[in-house]
Amino acid sequence: MAERLKPVDVVTVGVGLTGAIMAKELAAAGLKVVGLERGPRRDTSPDFQSPTIHDELRFAVRKALMQDNVKETLTFRNSSDQTALPLRRWQGFLPGTGTGGAAVHWNGQTYRFQPVDFVYKTHIEKRYGKNFVDPEITIQDWGVTYDELERHYDRFEYLCGTSGKAGNINGKIQPGGNPFEGQRSREYPTPPMKETQYGALFRNGAEKLGYKAYPQPASTLSQPYTNPEGLTLQQCVFCGFCERFACEHYAKASPQTVILPAALKNPNYELRSNCQVLRVNLDSTGKKATGVTYVDGAGREFEQPAELVLITAFALNNVRLLLNSGIGKPYDPRSGIGTVGRNYAYQTVSSVTVFYDQDTRINPFMASGSSGTVIDEFSGDNFDHTKLGFIGGAYVGAIMTNGRPIEFHPTPPGTPTWGLEWKKAVARHYNHTVVLTVHGMSHPTRTNYLDLDPTYKDAWGMPLLRLTFDFPENDLRMSKYVTDKTVEIGQAMGGKTVVGAPRKGPYTSTIYQTTHNTGGAVMGSDPTTSAVNKYLQSWDVPNVFVVGASAFQHNGTYNPTDTVGALTYWAVEAIKSQYLKSPGPLVRT
Amino acid sequence: MTKLSRRSLIKASAPVGAALLSGSLSDVAAQAETTAHTHTAQLQAGAPPAASTGSREANASYLFLNSEEAAFIEASVARLIPADEKWGGAIEAGVPNFIDKQLGGAWGAGERLYRGGPWQQGSATQGYQLPFTPAELFRTAIAAINGELKAATPFARMSTVDQDAYLHGLEAGGKDLGGVPSKEFFAALWEITLEGFFSDPVYGGNRDMLAWQMIGFPGAYASYYDLVDQHGMDFQHVPTSLAEDVHRHVHVHPEIPARLPE
Amino acid sequence: MIQVGVVALATLISVAVTATLVARPVVAQGVPRAADPKRGAVIAAQGTAAVPACAQCHAFSGASDSSGAFPRLTGQPASYLAEQMRDFASSRRDSAVMSPIAKGLSANDLDDVAAYFATTSGPFPLLAGADAIIVKKGEKIAREGDAAKGLQGCNNCHGPDGAGFPPRIPYLAGQYAEYIKLSLTMWKAGYRKNSPNVMKQIADRLDDQDIAAVAAFYQQIRNDTNAAQ
Repeated sequence: MAERLKPVDVVTVGVGLTGAIMAKELAAAGLKVVGLERGPRRDTSPDFQSPTIHDELRFAVRKALMQDNVKETLTFRNSSDQTALPLRRWQGFLPGTGTGGAAVHWNGQTYRFQPVDFVYKTHIEKRYGKNFVDPEITIQDWGVTYDELERHYDRFEYLCGTSGKAGNINGKIQPGGNPFEGQRSREYPTPPMKETQYGALFRNGAEKLGYKAYPQPASTLSQPYTNPEGLTLQQCVFCGFCERFACEHYAKASPQTVILPAALKNPNYELRSNCQVLRVNLDSTGKKATGVTYVDGAGREFEQPAELVLITAFALNNVRLLLNSGIGKPYDPRSGIGTVGRNYAYQTVSSVTVFYDQDTRINPFMASGSSGTVIDEFSGDNFDHTKLGFIGGAYVGAIMTNGRPIEFHPTPPGTPTWGLEWKKAVARHYNHTVVLTVHGMSHPTRTNYLDLDPTYKDAWGMPLLRLTFDFPENDLRMSKYVTDKTVEIGQAMGGKTVVGAPRKGPYTSTIYQTTHNTGGAVMGSDPTTSAVNKYLQSWDVPNVFVVGASAFQHNGTYNPTDTVGALTYWAVEAIKSQYLKSPGPLVRT
Repeated sequence: MTKLSRRSLIKASAPVGAALLSGSLSDVAAQAETTAHTHTAQLQAGAPPAASTGSREANASYLFLNSEEAAFIEASVARLIPADEKWGGAIEAGVPNFIDKQLGGAWGAGERLYRGGPWQQGSATQGYQLPFTPAELFRTAIAAINGELKAATPFARMSTVDQDAYLHGLEAGGKDLGGVPSKEFFAALWEITLEGFFSDPVYGGNRDMLAWQMIGFPGAYASYYDLVDQHGMDFQHVPTSLAEDVHRHVHVHPEIPARLPE
Repeated sequence: MIQVGVVALATLISVAVTATLVARPVVAQGVPRAADPKRGAVIAAQGTAAVPACAQCHAFSGASDSSGAFPRLTGQPASYLAEQMRDFASSRRDSAVMSPIAKGLSANDLDDVAAYFATTSGPFPLLAGADAIIVKKGEKIAREGDAAKGLQGCNNCHGPDGAGFPPRIPYLAGQYAEYIKLSLTMWKAGYRKNSPNVMKQIADRLDDQDIAAVAAFYQQIRNDTNAAQ
């Protein structure tokens, strides 16, 4: 029997980036906020200190910071005619857990989406006509514009102290930045990170071909910085243990370093860790949330009543919670009807490997999560697709993050997969190889979706989320095109051997390809094809907001976090300035 | 060609029992101290330590692998990552010890593995779907291999040419090893060998950081702000383990959980 | 975020490129002069026409004394020592004693002297009268940092219990407590300015007790009684 706790104003499910930002803002507005985090409480000191944290086997290979599959995972299949089976170990993507969530072990790559991303359907139809796109692809406009989000992007970047060079300030193109970017109101809060050897080699090759190389925007900072919350971040030391690890130096933007201490200072905010939320509770009308039910670390069940429920648990968990709570109509791919679970998307990544001879030392272990040199000529719709037969694009760059040997030991084609010649090839090529990244869009389709698994359950007895996903042909054509262009850059970089490896189908959960899971509770202006409105408020239960990459109608060219941060500030501003004054639907239809 | 060592002499002379492998504790202590001081002296001289020839093999007593399993593991990893004239291989790096401690610990017992049924083979894109924990997988598969080869030549006694051919056969798949597909087993064996070769020495493999010396990976301490813009610099640096103290002794703790405390 | 795993990729298309078609990237600016530790030893022992011998204050072995005025140089990375000397010469680092000396030495002299002291070795003496509680406090800061102060552990950069991270980060283990205290205090006060983005940030987070504690911890962590373990 669940113990009923004293009611609070707000409960957040999850204390990662979105949950921490919203909690801080609403507690500061005078509300009583409880943050329920299913994982443990962790802090930079002592939990993230090196050398302990610099353990590739434990953190990168065994994934010690990630969600523990013993208790909870999800099931996966490529298409509806297959039986989904549990991801018994994480390989393809790595959901986080614990305070800070995935923003503890991300790389810090901080890109805004492009203005056309938010009006993607309108833009594509206008440029290429209504019949250009493959019929299986279900792109839509997002219901919000880049201009509406610009100051929230700015706010998030200044929260993180992001290091970069602006390319377009109020319409004026800036030398050294990305000339294709949407306009921003001011420069980045800190200057770009130092350029590494591989960044310089890439710049050299790309500029030979006439491309405009610019520094990757980085939330692993180039210098010490105190953010508007009064928290100070330090200078990144290029240790090469960034993604899958936590930062020992306070140099990576994560909730612990940029916002959580500020939230915790406010007695209005209470953080409860090791609390697994099972469902959002609804009243008898089904249109109002009364709070949530959760189980704590000792197995005790509680009901936490709240006026406002913020689902801030990472895209995948957000969708699962909606489904397990009966909020919104589950999407059915056969009929195309339903809102929760539709428009799941991912990321279409590939690589090009450039092998040098012994004269060129790369020192790949001197790396940061987000230092890098990139070009934008092939991102999104920056190039004319009329004769190409696909939409979408990818950014390209030298953004190597590490030289950790269990994961990184490149060998040229033709090398045996083990044995003496393999070993000699590893020794020969380890310090003389650059890997270029091609980081591309992921378009939603009618058949890629999320729902609840009928068979498999978690340790609490709740159904697991079921993922049905494969790459649309469009995205594979896009990958081939941009990868081929990247091979040309590799050749211009002076590599002895250049190997392009475009993404090929089917999508496999066994090879890591980013943790950029998006969609499933998408935002939009049409309640029949979106789960939340433009303010990320549930169409069905107005006192529930669903905040995260679950809101993305598609996944753009770039990493999601900057856009997640912007949408979080956008949503919490709407709550503070509109919802609290007049609770109820913010968008009338 | 395997380097001549205590291990190979023991192997050649008699069936290997766990007791024979353990050696005496005073032996171990003396060797450990010698290695550490040599390391320190070379560190001060600015040169990297010489590749280890397995001076501390004696302290690798198996806790999980029985003697037949150990014989297979030692012989197979010696082929997967052989020694050459310049650098030691999996044996010199202590990979069998690493494998033993991993399989005998929490990882082998199924840490971080979703173990709920029902079980069915899916497509290759759906990943591992067997009920076996890593320990069960290795035990089952190796028993099947040793059983199959009992009548002919045990793996450890084959010529290296035949051993390689056998491993290629496992890698190609198509054989059922007591319920473990041979392709799956080979992949697991290769992965754990790679981990034992390249992981931090704290786990009992990568002895004396020989694998890191081979490629030039500096190890667990990593602070490169002043160096990262010296493009192409020749970074001569004795690798460091996360488990070494101020005197450069590496304290081995092979049982480290794959999770943070809660 | 994509993980670089070339071996794991499904298919590879190989495109061979001949090196003559494209320019090779520049990776070195010419061969630098190799430092000469033997020549450096002579300067350390005798000085030059312009400067007194290093040995006068630092001892020929670099072991100095425990007063804290003169740091232990024994076995410090050559690159670090040379950088400090260049900073003294350019006034990026100011010292009434060291600045004139560094200015009086040529660039080659600086490199050679630094190379010499990098080759020296010697015992690490016990710190007399170290309070166990203070040492323990220093150990915690060295290894874990301080959550309340937003401070990371010193060992992150300075190596295993302060053993150093060549070529540019000096050892603290076995350095004199008084000198460590002096250095941290100088950074905190802004008088030592040659690590504004790192050491100043860190020193600002330490109070006098923290400083005394890390100094005590580091001086004693590598003494000869500890070495036997």
